[in-house]
Amino acid sequence: MAEKDKLKKVGDILLNNAMYIIIAIAVVYIAIMRPTFIKLPSIINILSLTAAKLPIALGIGGCIVLTGTDISAGRVVGLTACISASLLTTVFKVFPNMTNAVPLPLVLLLVIGVGALVGFVNGFSVAKFKLHPFIVTLSTQLIVYGIILMYLMRGVNNGQTLSGLDDSYRSFVTGTLFTIGGVAVPKYVLYSLILTIIMWVIWNKTTFGKNMFAVGSNEEAANVSGVNVMRTIIMVFMLAGMMYGITGFLDGARIASANANTGLNYECDAIAACVIGGVSFVGGIGRISGIVVGVLLLQIIFTGLNFLAVDANMLYIIKGLIILIACAIDMRKYLVRK
Amino acid sequence: MEEQNKNQTAPQRQLRGLYSKVNISVRSLNIIIIVLAAALIVCMAVGVSNGGFTVSFDPLGGTTVESQRYMYGERIEAPTPPTREGYVFDGWYLDENTTRPWNLEKDIVTESMTLYAGWKLQ
Repeated sequence: MAEKDKLKKVGDILLNNAMYIIIAIAVVYIAIMRPTFIKLPSIINILSLTAAKLPIALGIGGCIVLTGTDISAGRVVGLTACISASLLTTVFKVFPNMTNAVPLPLVLLLVIGVGALVGFVNGFSVAKFKLHPFIVTLSTQLIVYGIILMYLMRGVNNGQTLSGLDDSYRSFVTGTLFTIGGVAVPKYVLYSLILTIIMWVIWNKTTFGKNMFAVGSNEEAANVSGVNVMRTIIMVFMLAGMMYGITGFLDGARIASANANTGLNYECDAIAACVIGGVSFVGGIGRISGIVVGVLLLQIIFTGLNFLAVDANMLYIIKGLIILIACAIDMRKYLVRK
Repeated sequence: MEEQNKNQTAPQRQLRGLYSKVNISVRSLNIIIIVLAAALIVCMAVGVSNGGFTVSFDPLGGTTVESQRYMYGERIEAPTPPTREGYVFDGWYLDENTTRPWNLEKDIVTESMTLYAGWKLQ
């Protein structure tokens, strides 16, 4: 009997951590096949890319805690990246009458505002009309995509990729924060770190954060105990929108251009990262540290597969399988918990 | 046998949230996780064994250039330059607007991509 229990325990551990085990095996294999994968430049590259993708995951994490999700995230990132790239540029194609780049803080505030606005629409529809977030954010995703395409047709741009960005904008985001062993760490790593700390404080130290978890685990109970459910849901979605706005602002400069495909499928990566990191679709469960780990693990595995020159088409299938496995493990963990 | 009895007496915890309509046993989940994990490993193995990025060349009106295959981190070997009447070829670019040039000596392949020919009026 004791033997059997032991076996069951080992099985539990193996199954609950199946994803981590697969990733660990893959990393070891990649490190053996391509030793440059574990050299400093590659590690800093992975950390930088993790930092770049962290804000959007931090935003979506809140929506998942509410048992919802947000599939408009990627397109909002695209829109805000296009807005940033069109205003902070040297060739004003979208606004031909402009001659000087708009001040940086103003653009940052603008894109945060745009993100918050989309987040408000999402949150209001979910909270007020009890619509499922999938439906609401699917429609805002399409609406935002339409707006991006129309925005890019403005002026003399004619739908082309926006590039020729202003130097101050590029150096503000991708400038060197410090160098380790001759490898530059870009400034956006710092911004991402600051956002992570802010989100940690919001999730763990504020009434709003506690309300979010309460609404996520049981909406009715939260309502009875005096939580303003509607306001909490709207604020979670708005906060997420702001994160997408910041991601878009950083991404425009990071990629050095923006077009209609910027941000495409970002939400899939972010949702996958959250679920891997233990933010549960069951609701009311999740930690900021988990999201950071999730984003990092996904980045490690995909950078690694890239090192092995795995085709991008196959990466989509792998991503899909990872999300399915993460959800299955997520359910299993909830069911076996005592 | 004992386990089955236990399952009958103590009903399984009900899933909630996004999974509230899901009715699945831990045992089925175990099988699903194992099968999907195996599928994931197979996909990764297939992906790795067919590794290689395709670099296509868009001559933008010039003569066609064959695409090439590279592994991660390799430099592109310059293909025979395309020709176009009334224009002089001035290198490969990452974008159709030919604003971001590809440096054959420095830049390394990190993904499948298309390079665009740059043309100058003769």
